[in-house]
Amino acid sequence: MNKTLFFASLKANWKLLLGTFLVLAMYQSVIIGMYDPESVEAMKAMIEAFPEGMMSAFGYDLPANDLTGHMGTYLYGFLMLVFPLMYVVPAGNNLMAKHVDRGSMAYLLGTPNTRIRIARTQAVFFVSSTLLLFFSVVLFGMLMSESLFPGELIYGDYLLLNLVTVAVYMVLCGIAFLASCTFNESRGSIMAGLGIPGAFLIFKMMSAASDQLEGLKYATLFSLIDVPRIFEHSGYALLTSGILIAVSVLLFVLAIRIFNKRGLNI
Amino acid sequence: MIDVQQLTHVYPGGKGIFDLDFTVREGEVFGYLGPNGAGKTTTIRNIMGFVNARKGRVTIRGLDCRRDTAAVQKFIGYLPGEIAFFDNMKGLEFLKFVGDMHGMANTRLRDSLIDRFELDASGSIRKMSKGMKQKLGIIAAFMHDPEVYILDEPTGGLDPFMQNVFMDLIRQEKARGKTIMLSSHIFDEVQRSCDRAGIIRDGRLAAIEDVKSLNAMKSREFIVTLATKKDTQNLLASGLETQKLDEKKVLVRVARNFDDFIRTLSAYNLANLDIRQRSLEDIFMNYYGKKGNGHE
Repeated sequence: MNKTLFFASLKANWKLLLGTFLVLAMYQSVIIGMYDPESVEAMKAMIEAFPEGMMSAFGYDLPANDLTGHMGTYLYGFLMLVFPLMYVVPAGNNLMAKHVDRGSMAYLLGTPNTRIRIARTQAVFFVSSTLLLFFSVVLFGMLMSESLFPGELIYGDYLLLNLVTVAVYMVLCGIAFLASCTFNESRGSIMAGLGIPGAFLIFKMMSAASDQLEGLKYATLFSLIDVPRIFEHSGYALLTSGILIAVSVLLFVLAIRIFNKRGLNI
Repeated sequence: MIDVQQLTHVYPGGKGIFDLDFTVREGEVFGYLGPNGAGKTTTIRNIMGFVNARKGRVTIRGLDCRRDTAAVQKFIGYLPGEIAFFDNMKGLEFLKFVGDMHGMANTRLRDSLIDRFELDASGSIRKMSKGMKQKLGIIAAFMHDPEVYILDEPTGGLDPFMQNVFMDLIRQEKARGKTIMLSSHIFDEVQRSCDRAGIIRDGRLAAIEDVKSLNAMKSREFIVTLATKKDTQNLLASGLETQKLDEKKVLVRVARNFDDFIRTLSAYNLANLDIRQRSLEDIFMNYYGKKGNGHE
């Protein structure tokens, strides 16, 4: 870990981080604000009024009988899956590939720091900043829930749901970082870092929207954020998160190794 | 000090560097001279440990430049050929950042270099001109007082006055016992600043010469424009090495006989006198009697 580089990366990316947090916090407020214990039935009626596949695609077809379920349906079906990409994709690219593409990596490697140390520092920054993003959003969601609907949020469910979401995101960070360490140009790194999670998202929406395409759910990490199963407290959430985090660690280790070995035209 | 051993690095497409073998000695200024695309930057990338050579290696003080990169960087000051910084930073902020990455405690040298190059480092890098960026790069390479300098086209973007400031700095560092390798495509620059020069063309080392012997081989070409046709005839018959360009213009090649040249000219009415800019390829043709395969 190199502190100087860590803080330089923070300075280069904090606006992106803050902007993403604000977008996610805004959606948390809107969705929590929309919760109305009296009108759960009315919401169901509204959903039924739309063509079936369309609402399913966004995950809005689960019965939401309490606040946590309501958030699980309306936030963790689509919004909390797509908007953190606003940070993860560009930041992943900024940390490695952009420096190689622009040539500024020469200034990092022209100092007495090994490539492994440089890459590891950027990886630590990437993971910790992404965790900070989710931590802040989760905390914000709790505060929002308690202030609007005191005592309604079931913490166990809410935290497990976020644990699995964060774990999925750790893998997406690993993919973005691997792409960033592998490609010489930002273009390739962004295409892979955005394209793979984008495909996961499309597969999830298609598998939910149509029975014929249901099989696609096996081709996307997002179907692991299975709200009803997570709320069962069966050990599913912990096991899934553990496996995802292990995969993420492997991706980061692989990314750093590749970066250490390859030639850099800088 | 810097040992390049059978270094071969081939790009897809076939260009690259082939079997380079040379040594930069401790305490000398070594010019690495070649036209654009000859392989200068590729060699430097190998010295800096950025790329994996197909064959051969570079060592500095016996340390392998690719394997022990971080250890080697402790005593290297590097100026990249293409300047790219962290464009979200201000000039001074960037210098602080690079200084901290080097673990540099003392900022006196940095500040004196900023004064010396008259750089206003307070502004955003993004808004700096090419010359200002080049100065920033030079300061970043020199400010931690390394023992070895690797400078890729160091005077690019500098005006003639700043080029002189830079040349003074090179002389001063040489006097302090530093080892300096600088690449250039400009013959005169190498001639002014270096002890020895390695000449690279098409990825192969064409020659390593003392700059003194390069000077001895070097001739200058003047284009003399005369006032009358009669003077033209006389100049052509004067015994100097001449070539008629048109009725009133004569090319004169002067190697060491500058006195003769001036004395002869003083007899004529001159309309103009020009030094012809010569490309590196011209100089090669003169010295080695062979032409390059197609650059420039």
